[in-house]
Parts: sequence; structure tokens; C-alpha cells
Amino acid sequence: MDKPDTSHSVKTRTKKESLSREERQKQLEFQKEAVVHLNSLYNYALHLTMNPNDAEDLVQETYLKAYRFFNSFERGTNCKAWLFKILKNNYINRFRKNSKEPGKVDYDLIKDFYHSIKDVQNDTSEAESDYFHSLLHEEVYQALHSLPEEFREVIQLCDIDGFTYEEIANMVESPIGTVRSRLYRGRKLLREQLEGYAKKYGFNTEKDQ
Amino acid sequence: MSAAVDCELSIKEEKGFLQHLSECKECKNEFEEAKKTKMIIKEKIVQFKAPQTLINSIMELTSIGTIEHEDTLLFE
Repeated sequence: MDKPDTSHSVKTRTKKESLSREERQKQLEFQKEAVVHLNSLYNYALHLTMNPNDAEDLVQETYLKAYRFFNSFERGTNCKAWLFKILKNNYINRFRKNSKEPGKVDYDLIKDFYHSIKDVQNDTSEAESDYFHSLLHEEVYQALHSLPEEFREVIQLCDIDGFTYEEIANMVESPIGTVRSRLYRGRKLLREQLEGYAKKYGFNTEKDQ
Repeated sequence: MSAAVDCELSIKEEKGFLQHLSECKECKNEFEEAKKTKMIIKEKIVQFKAPQTLINSIMELTSIGTIEHEDTLLFE
């Protein structure tokens, strides 16, 4: 700002042009930093809303907001974590108010949701070999969703989205110690659920002696 | 335990933890199970692809000056 302006010709350029160049810079950076996380955000939104249309809306809103406030994103920090936090806040403001009681799981809803979306978009390759092999995606999904939300949330952020404890603590606005113990308890609960499924298929989940 | 599963221990802590595992079968089992649970979640929870319409609309939002030229859409 204080530097002497060496080139008058630059100065006389239209405001629109220089603005657009700045804007373009921002767009490029935004694409590189933020848009690459689109799939993760969409999946996160799906987990929260359990509804593809709502998830789309939520992601769209999140990107609009993120773009508008991109200047306040602290460069060098984890952009994905920043986006997740925006999305979560949007979700709370928009959907939570009129949603049903937290903690209640509608298994039919999960099943329907999972099937409706699986047929269209699922393209995982099956390459598992451990004894949980025959656990269905849907069952793991159900088990995960049967957990109290505070447990499910940290497990998801940690195991699916790969955030660090520090990032998760920031996102859920709790101390790291809390995150750690929620992960521990959540995984324990989850394991009980999954073992139930495994037993159903006749697997012995006890360790070999 | 969780911190060990998620590789969040410091080097010193990890050393202590491994030391303990070598002496305590119960914790070792617990550790293995916790790791397995993490792996199951990682592998079994399907990541869906975002629908193309959504991708397009996000791209539109951020490609005004790059793909298109600057004369359109730039006005608030």
C-alpha cells in the first residue's frame, strides 16, 4: 500500500479488471484448497442428514459460505477441517431445529436410505479377507448410527475422514481428552454391535487360544 | 488406548505403551480389537460420490473467471 506507484498505466486500469484478477486468484486457490474436498463433505453431509437432497443443499450452502469467507481461512491450516466445521454449523442451524429427537435411530430409514443410494452410486471394490468379511456395509453403517451421536461423530471424523485429535477437538468444541475417551467408548460399543452381527453369521469372535 | 490406535502418541508414550503391551495380554487384545474396529469402519463405510449436479454447481461457483471469461457473472 505504501509503496510508490511506479507505473501509471497500471493504475489507470479499470477497477473491474484488477478486481477480476484478484477474484480469479481467489477462485483458483479456492478450487485447489477447498473444492477438492467435495466428496468428503458430501459424505459428511449424508451422515448428518441421512437424505441426499438435504446433503446436497448443505454442501452447496457450505461452499457458498466458505467462498464468501475464504479470506478468513487461516492459510496453512487444514482446509478440510475448516469446511467441515462450517458444514456442521450450517447443519445445526438449518436442520437440527426441526429434526426428531437426537439419539433415536430409525433403522428402516437407514436401510431405505442406504439401499436407495447404494444402487446408484456405490462403486467400492470388494477386497476384504478378515473374518468380518461377510459384514455388510449396511450393517456397519447401522452399527455406527446406533451409537449416541457424540460417539458416532468422533469416530466418523477420526476413522473415515482422518482428522487429528486436535482438529476433531476443535470441530466438536471439546477438549482432546474428551475426544479420546469418546473414541474409546464409542469403539467399544461399536465392537459389541459388530460382534453381534459376526456371531449371526456363525463366526467365532473370540480370539484363538 | 485410543491415542495408540490413532497414532497420536508421542514417541516416548508409544514406547511405554508397547512396553506395557508386551507384558499385558489383556491390553494387547484390547488394542488389537480396537485397531480392527477402526479398520472395519474405514473399509466398510462406503464413500459415495457426490452427484454430478452438485459438482457442477460448485464448480460454477468457483470457475467464473477461469473457465468462462471475465465478462459474465462477475457482478454482485
